[in-house]
Amino acid sequence: MTSGLYDAYYLPRGVAADGESTVQRFGPPHDAIELRLPVVTSAAIAYWARSIAAARREYLLCRPAAQIHRALERVAERFLEPRSAARENAVAWLERSGRFSAPMIARALDDTFRPLARGGVTRWVNAELGGASALDRPMPDRKGVACRATSPEWVFQIYAGNVPGLPVWPLFSALAMKSAVLAKTSSQEPLLAPLLARTIAEEDETLGACIAVAWWKGGTEELDRAALRLAPAVLAFGGESAIAAVARAARPDAIVVVHGPKVSVAYVAREALTRAALKGAASRAALDVALYDQQGCLSPHAFYVERGGEVGPGAFAAALGGALEELRGGIPRGTPGPHAAAGIQLYRAQARFDEATGTRGTHVLGASEGTDWTVVYEEGARFEPSPAYRTVRVHSVSGVEEVIGVLAPEVRYIEAVGLEARGSRRPRLAASLSATGVPRIAPLGSLQTPTPAGTHGGVHRISQFLRWTTVERMVARASASRPSAPRSRRSTRGKSRSK
Amino acid sequence: MTLDEEMVGQTERLIRFIKEADWGAMPSDEAFGDLALRSFRLQCRAIPAYGAYARHVGCAPEQVRDWRDVPPAPASAFKTHDLSAAPKDAAILFETSGTTISTPGRVRLGSTDLYEISLLENFAEHLLPDGARLDAVVFGPTVAAAPRSSLWFMVDRVVSFFCGWAAWGVAGGEPNWDWLDAALLQASSEGEPVLLLGTTLLFHAYFERCDRREVRFSLPPGSRAMDTGGAKGFRVALERATIEADFARVLGIPSTHVVNEYGMAEMGSQFYDDSYLATHQRRAIRPGKRIPPWVRTRVLDPETMDEVGDGVSGVLVHYDLANLEIPLAIQTEDLGIRQGVRLLIEGRLPEAERRGCSLPFERFAERERAGER
Repeated sequence: MTSGLYDAYYLPRGVAADGESTVQRFGPPHDAIELRLPVVTSAAIAYWARSIAAARREYLLCRPAAQIHRALERVAERFLEPRSAARENAVAWLERSGRFSAPMIARALDDTFRPLARGGVTRWVNAELGGASALDRPMPDRKGVACRATSPEWVFQIYAGNVPGLPVWPLFSALAMKSAVLAKTSSQEPLLAPLLARTIAEEDETLGACIAVAWWKGGTEELDRAALRLAPAVLAFGGESAIAAVARAARPDAIVVVHGPKVSVAYVAREALTRAALKGAASRAALDVALYDQQGCLSPHAFYVERGGEVGPGAFAAALGGALEELRGGIPRGTPGPHAAAGIQLYRAQARFDEATGTRGTHVLGASEGTDWTVVYEEGARFEPSPAYRTVRVHSVSGVEEVIGVLAPEVRYIEAVGLEARGSRRPRLAASLSATGVPRIAPLGSLQTPTPAGTHGGVHRISQFLRWTTVERMVARASASRPSAPRSRRSTRGKSRSK
Repeated sequence: MTLDEEMVGQTERLIRFIKEADWGAMPSDEAFGDLALRSFRLQCRAIPAYGAYARHVGCAPEQVRDWRDVPPAPASAFKTHDLSAAPKDAAILFETSGTTISTPGRVRLGSTDLYEISLLENFAEHLLPDGARLDAVVFGPTVAAAPRSSLWFMVDRVVSFFCGWAAWGVAGGEPNWDWLDAALLQASSEGEPVLLLGTTLLFHAYFERCDRREVRFSLPPGSRAMDTGGAKGFRVALERATIEADFARVLGIPSTHVVNEYGMAEMGSQFYDDSYLATHQRRAIRPGKRIPPWVRTRVLDPETMDEVGDGVSGVLVHYDLANLEIPLAIQTEDLGIRQGVRLLIEGRLPEAERRGCSLPFERFAERERAGER
């Protein structure tokens, strides 16, 4: 299934790749995949943008949004269907890219597509807009004012390749709001987006006509600019300097949403640290750490654990180590590159140095061999991302104030806080943590399963891109001298008062 | 004998060893190991944090019989701990660059004798094998302007010992391109070869400026350059071939006369390309950088930390006899390949290539940048 050449791009039928294509090798040197890629030029980008925008006018604008949403739901279902071609292809090709293990990829597909399948897109749109019809015509909102949402003609989406499944929600969000989409894939993971686009086109050809997926080398300014100077909307994932460059080069009137580098952390309250609950909490924590090998922004890098529970933070650290050891077999880690492994080794050596010198009460737990997982325990809160690949710090803390003091100055680098707490303290802790402005607070063990209806980076996935038309009716102007007088519609009808 | 007296005695032994080093052959394992173990034992006493670390990882000084078992201090520990045997008010304090969340690493030296002999012997071997006494153009600040940089200290020593007149192209933290233009113009017209010293980054910036303004120099034959840094810490990977072509195009210095250096504040010794020495000796250029006779570099599998053989890539751990007041064994996160006495350094992944919505964490991951070491 994964032999031969992979078309690492997608263009709608009838939209030629405009000339030449190249073959590039991708993946581990001993087992590289050959990818066929169109030679991208500024003219090609402009042509693709015109084509998908025209297809949107022709096929999407007049079509009931709910129908589009159902088609997208069927696409999601295909990727969840155990032996479907879509799923088998996705797992096989992503595994060939060599970054994540097959069980991890299967899990990523489930976690990504499940919230979209079987009414999922409909629920997502309902949650954000109150219903799909506002994308079709003016619909009364909660106050009875008729509103209609207008989406950008097309969205230029720039993906990162750090976690499998990353392109799915962005691509769905564009189509769900009736925008066309031109996607630039990541050199780390150029495989899923074209496969997804092809599957969408198989399910619904007119939706497929509104998508173009291509790859060009990151930082190729001429091509980036060619897309950015045309794009009415931009959604970009990437490193700090890359997203800053995107924001600078975008059209002044473009709607721009960028997601830069972030990590997550977790907070464990003392009430949750009972002997009986320890193993469960540690297992949930380990799952959050293990998934996607801490390559994503939802991966916790630090656990802030309160002292004073039935068992202490040290016991939590030990249990977390045990749980990570158990996960080695169930969800095997991808193999870190030599640079990443060297970084982990230096991190461990430094932690041992801290341990040897009695610095911050540091204690190092680690996998018996290799870099499979590393847990470092220390006293007191601080924020410092780990070198990832299942490397975490457990901090013993006095309470939430200590942690907030450390997180607040760095909150723009934090996507979520996993919270393990019970009873009335849970809402109180959540309230304290939310005051930092961190985008998401979620139970431990569910950090890696956000819902599309929630936010990413604190902004909604669809509504951020919409502009609204309100259709107002004439309303009686209350007399200044009698502010409490009952309004009479009849008396004002026919008179133009709007200004 | 007091510890201080023992340190002085060991310094003398090490200086003698470095001065007498035979570049034609690696010294015997025994000779190297004897000195390394003596230094290690002194360092365990004189640097309490390091001594505690050695004992903690099961390599107490009384147990270690082979220099390979000397535990390397993680390079990052210079940021978190006092890893110097020198007094707090020591004359020399070098800093590695910090990040916004970490303090800079600190290297304190009470005496620079050992450091100087290592850097001068090594520099002379690789850039001045003809014994030339050249004027220098420094693409960097004076040591007075950058007193905490080991790189500019090194350049200052080189200029003092080997050069006549020198021009410095960075002042007040900013490059002064006009000074550099003037110095290079003068060198071109006087017909005497010059020595250029600086960071790859600054050379690159200067070449870009020259290209924009269509400025070209033709430095006299025999002119040569040492550049340091390379891809390490760069946002954009600089191809070595590109830099070498730039030297030839803009300055008229052929690639045979451009010598790249690799070094760090945590090491008294440096590593140099073979390009100029080979040209001087009229032989083919050997790949990689020379490990000086008083340094050993072990290459370890990054996953298991077991030593790998020649030709296999791994984590570099250096054992540098020029380090006495600081630990001689340093664990880096640099990758490289050893080929006999030569080292091919792979450098760090350019940040631009590590993209994603989680890492790279450019702000946090920023490593020592060339020129700030």
